[in-house]
Parts: sequence; C-alpha cells; structure tokens
Amino acid sequence: MKKVSAITLGMALSSVFLSSCTQGNSSQTVAATRNSGTLALVANGEDFVRQGFVSKDGWSIKFDRVYLNVSDVTAYQMESSFEPNQGDTLENVKYSNKVSFLDTVKTIDLAAGETNAEPILVEQTEAPVGFYNAIAWKLTTIAGKTIGLQGQATKEGQIINFNLGFNRPVEYLCGEFVGDDRKGIVEPDQTGQLETTLHFDHVFGDSQTAADDALNQDALGFQPLADLASGDRLKLDETSLSAKLSPENYQKLTNALVGLGHVGEGHCQVVSN
Amino acid sequence: MNRCYFFLSLLFLAALPETAFAHGASIQYRETSAIAITANYDDGKPMANAQVVIYAPSDRATPWLKGTTDEGGNFTFVPDSDPKNVGNWDIKVRQAGHGDITSIPVTGGKLVADVSETNSSSVGSDYTTAQKVVMAATGIWGFVGTALFFSRSKSAK
Repeated sequence: MKKVSAITLGMALSSVFLSSCTQGNSSQTVAATRNSGTLALVANGEDFVRQGFVSKDGWSIKFDRVYLNVSDVTAYQMESSFEPNQGDTLENVKYSNKVSFLDTVKTIDLAAGETNAEPILVEQTEAPVGFYNAIAWKLTTIAGKTIGLQGQATKEGQIINFNLGFNRPVEYLCGEFVGDDRKGIVEPDQTGQLETTLHFDHVFGDSQTAADDALNQDALGFQPLADLASGDRLKLDETSLSAKLSPENYQKLTNALVGLGHVGEGHCQVVSN
Repeated sequence: MNRCYFFLSLLFLAALPETAFAHGASIQYRETSAIAITANYDDGKPMANAQVVIYAPSDRATPWLKGTTDEGGNFTFVPDSDPKNVGNWDIKVRQAGHGDITSIPVTGGKLVADVSETNSSSVGSDYTTAQKVVMAATGIWGFVGTALFFSRSKSAK
C-alpha cells in the first residue's frame, strides 16, 4: 500500500513537472506570434542627388528630379550574412522569415525635399520581429522608363538643362545594408528600416575620385551626353540614347545604370536585366 | 589547543597588509582561439587601415568590438565563450565608400565548420521530440525512484 502511495505521489509530481514545461512552451509560442513591428523600405540617392556633384569630366550636376519606379520588394531574415556576390543564393542560404510587399509599381523622387532631407520612404508593412539582412527589389518600366533624371549641368559657363529617361528593368538581390548603423532590425511595435542606395556617381563619375579609379574608368561621364544637347537643352530617352551614343558609350551607360543599386556601401547582385 | 594555534595563525596571516606586495608583477596566460580575418577589395588589394565592427550573436544591433585592419587588411579578435554568444558573429569592414559584412559561426569560443552544428548546441530552445521524451522519462523516474527509495527505507525499519 505504501509503495502504491509512493508511486502515486511520484506520478503526481511528474505530472506537475511536465505540465509546467508544456505551459511554458505554449506561452512562448503565443508571445512569438504576437511579436511584430513595422518594416520600412527607404531609397537614398545620397549627397550626389541631394547636393549635386562634379562629374569625372568636370560638369557640375544638380538634380531637380530623380524618379525611380520600384516594385516587388522582398525582405529576408537570413541565418547568416547573405553575400550574393560571393555565390550565396536564395536556394543555398536558409532564411527563417520573409516579407513581401510593394507588388504594384511605385514611383519615387530621390531628390524630393531639402538638401539634408532623410531618404525617401518607398513603402512599409507589418512584419515579424527579427533581423532582416537581405532584400530583393526591382526597377520596373512605367511609361517607357525605369529611371528619370531632370536637372542642370554646368561647365565653364555652359549650361545644359537635361531631361533623361532610361529604360533598364533590373531585379536586384542584396545582402545587409553596410553603413554606420545596422539596419533591418524589427522589434515589437517598433519600425526597422531597410535601404536601397542608388550610386549615381557610377553613371557620371566623380571628380573627387582618382581618374584611374575603377569608378571613373567605368563611368560614362556627362560629356558624351552634353555633346548630344541642342543648345542648352538635352532631352533623350532610351531609344534615342541607344541611337545617338557610340556603342562603347552606350554600353558604359547601360552597365552603369544596371549597377546603380546598392545597400549602403554593400553591393547587390543583378538577378535579371 | 593545537587547533586554537592553527586558527590564530590563519587569522594572523589574513591580517597581513597586501600593500607590501603592490610593487610586484605577474603574467598569466591561457590558450584560446582567435579569429583572423583578411579584407580585400574586388581587385585583390588589401583594405588597409579599414574600419572593423564586430557584432556578437547576443546583440546584433550593438557593436561588440571596433578596430582597424593593418596594412595587409588583417584583423584578429577573440570571441568570448559566453553561452549567449554561441552562433554567428558578424564582421563589418568599411573603407572609402566600400564595405562588406560576413558571418563567422562560433561556439564555445571556437570556430565551427557548420552553422547547423552551432544551432543544435544552443541551450534552452528547439528540443527534438526524442529529446523531450527522454527528458520527461528521466524526470518521471527521478520522482518515482525517490518516492520508492524513501518508502522502502521506512518499511525496512
């Protein structure tokens, strides 16, 4: 009888032990499903767009409008750093979570706001908490353009008012933002930010960088475009650019436009173009 | 009496001022595992004197360590063995508008070849069903066995 009582007591204590473990796991599961915040995507043309710059061939360029047509954004929580330029793909690197948004094309103006304005908010969505360290996004054609540039270029007293339309649809796959701060961290009821960075010095070069630097060697510059101006006006679209630029210059322009997308200082892989 | 002398001696030694030994020096050492990185530009040139920022797994938002690469783009650090920091250590290197981030899996202060191995050794989460059954059975037998033991000893008397 005493043995039966002892066994019964042991089983009762065991039941209490197991039930407490089960309740703990359930409460953790409930807490996890309630943890969400906001994930925001911003686009940044950096000081090149906001303040202007001097091209590799000496043209002082200032932008009034820099239009981008952005769509199909997906943010991923990768188990480790995602380096698509080092061979990482969405197939060989596991992700624990992904959030897709902006399934319709949105046009943004990187030059909007004052000189020191913040990067432009593209879209934001509710997202599970966590660290989003990879992003895919597209530049999509609307009205024959993926990118539109409007502004003024000046050199040695000559002024050219330019209105350029490029049509280079591109899909980018990028790792983590590389900059002063770490981005992409979503905490409960907080907003985490992802950034796409457009490096327009890749198109026109930069007088602040050495002439033999790869940036300037690969950039088109502005002079080949200035040579196509009619008086003080330059208005060209993709079709006219392909017809009027030399094949070498058109290829340089194409390569530079495709390579615009970055994540801060981090490079992106071009999935399709 | 001998015990009394013994404890008095201990008390006397403990009361000795430590300042009499302050001018000495000592070196302690231990063997540990360090992580050495080398950062290069795409053209193969080293990222010399580049900014290095290291993030530990337990706090991916706050830099754990900051430093600078040497002339060869090299930087070395020793990850701590805190159980909270088992997992991927993220290394960010930046210079002149160029930068990269890479992850290095570490467990117990040592590099592991496989991240999945690191994840399976982490404490307190994601037990498999088999592990839970074994844990439960062990717990049950512990209680039952203890109850039987005390019951047996009482009946033996």
